[in-house]
Amino acid sequence: MNQTPDITPTTTTLLIAPAAVLMFGVFVLPFLFLVVLSFWSQVPGSLSLDTSLTLANYVRIFTDSYYLGGLWTTLWLSGFVTLICLLLALPLARWIVLHAGRAKGLLIGISILPLICGALLPTLGLVNLLSPLGFINGALKSMGVIQSSLPLLGNITGVTIGLVQAFLPLMVLPLINTIERIPRDYEKAAMSLGASPLVVWRRVLLPLMLPGIVAGSLLVFCAALTAFVTPQILGQGKVVTFASLAYQQAAMVLDWPFASALGIVMLLFLALAGLVGALISRRLARGS
Amino acid sequence: MKRIACYAALTAVSLIPCLPAFAQDYSGRTLVVGTWGGDIERLLKEHVAGPLEAKTGAKVEFLLGGSGDRLSKMVAERNNPTMDVTFQNIYEAPSALKEGLVVAPDAALVPAAANVWAGMNDGCYAMSLVGLGIAYSKAVFPEAPEWADLWNPDLKGKMAYAPYPSSEGDGMLAVAARIAGVDESNPDVAFAKLAELGAPMLTYSSLDEVLTLMDAGEIAAAPMISGYVISNLENYEGIGFVFPKNPGPVLVRDMVCQVANSPEPELAQMFIDLALGVETQTAYAQQLNFGPTNSKVVLSDEEAARVINTPEEVDSLLQLDWDYVIAQRSDWTDRWNKEILGQ
Repeated sequence: MNQTPDITPTTTTLLIAPAAVLMFGVFVLPFLFLVVLSFWSQVPGSLSLDTSLTLANYVRIFTDSYYLGGLWTTLWLSGFVTLICLLLALPLARWIVLHAGRAKGLLIGISILPLICGALLPTLGLVNLLSPLGFINGALKSMGVIQSSLPLLGNITGVTIGLVQAFLPLMVLPLINTIERIPRDYEKAAMSLGASPLVVWRRVLLPLMLPGIVAGSLLVFCAALTAFVTPQILGQGKVVTFASLAYQQAAMVLDWPFASALGIVMLLFLALAGLVGALISRRLARGS
Repeated sequence: MKRIACYAALTAVSLIPCLPAFAQDYSGRTLVVGTWGGDIERLLKEHVAGPLEAKTGAKVEFLLGGSGDRLSKMVAERNNPTMDVTFQNIYEAPSALKEGLVVAPDAALVPAAANVWAGMNDGCYAMSLVGLGIAYSKAVFPEAPEWADLWNPDLKGKMAYAPYPSSEGDGMLAVAARIAGVDESNPDVAFAKLAELGAPMLTYSSLDEVLTLMDAGEIAAAPMISGYVISNLENYEGIGFVFPKNPGPVLVRDMVCQVANSPEPELAQMFIDLALGVETQTAYAQQLNFGPTNSKVVLSDEEAARVINTPEEVDSLLQLDWDYVIAQRSDWTDRWNKEILGQ
């Protein structure tokens, strides 16, 4: 007969130690350096750093209308993308759970494809679809629907399409997980009591789906908030997001302290989003 | 007899430092070279890395990406560099030398540097000469335009630019300043004049992207670096490229640098020597339309017509004070974002 070995605090510490050391080395230390760097400054006209502590980078972010505008655009764009993903994912996830049958695995596989193949290739594919000479404009022109090309790139429309395409799986998967756990009887019971389909959705299904909705929304919001490749390529330099500003400062201007401050502000908003998500989840747990 | 043998041995030992460096065996050692991907990587592999590996037994490893990434890497690894050779833009090379990130050009270390046109090795070794000219849609401009023609009010908002900061953006600011009667040391005027062209229709991330739209007449023109555009003209009948005369095209140079305190300085110097050599420089001119910096390169008339390859041609180009321009980088990037893109 197999016996489970005793797990003492020492054993636990030893087992955790390699991962903890690794995390400390590759995540905590660089993160702390990022925080410190954000309080340094670039010597004007030089690649050297002035290591005296200053709030100048944060003052610049929160007093310059351009950076505030970039922050605002990033936040509302992330919220908008989350909402669109939710509206698309709710019926899709429910259909996959209830009606896909044997094709369920295949459909889940297809829906997570954008996550597997990375951001670059699908985004470049979207450029071909959305450009003034792309498939969509070409098809609409050949059908006589439009005379000149619709601007689908270099604006919020294009970036939203790209981000929704990229992050829809992050909403679909938690919803599938939640919907699978909702007994079909609840829906039938509600309908037998005279509830219309709309009322069933509003009063029965949506409240039961809330944990999945919160989890999915949090994932999509955070992913959209930090997205770089898609806004950079589909926005064509005209849609300013915090990630693209941070990239420009870090890789092109080489003002690392300012880029670090932009990164820290972005992380603070991620933490805030996580906190809101946790509070909602806790309230839902209490309610249930 | 013993004495003769002794003299012979001493002579042999004393001659060792005079032997060409690549006669040594560098087996098991790796030279790390940072450069751009695509055709440049292919040519460097073919004409530089291949022969160097064959002669020395060393392995050449390429690190591909943008020059900004490489400059960041050099700054981050200042005390312990992992890259030996890096290809940078002209606007990055002088500041890299000033910061002690690269080794100053020296013909004693890299013999082929002696053949580079005088005054070209600024910060690093000059690898190729290209000019910022105008790529234009023939549907919009039946005849090759001058810079001033871009300020036609009908064309407002129909330009395409490379992402800023870049030599294209700085060059265009310098041109705008001169159209307004000043130079780039007066950025207020330069930005105001460039803003008159409107926000660009496209900030392009790839050459195909901008050329396809220009070929269809959706984009009127774009300030672009000569080499790649000229190489692509045969694929796009609706696009022309011109070096304007007033002011002349802006001279842009690709530079090859030996990273300071790198692990393989000797291999780095040999690599740069081969890169500046006649064979590589000729291939650059013939296949990429990048002007050779090596004065010993001989091109056919047809090849020479497509590249900048003589000191006289270089003199006709607009040369920017890159030290000044690079010092304005942070400020100008903010202004570009707000005053050019954010109109």
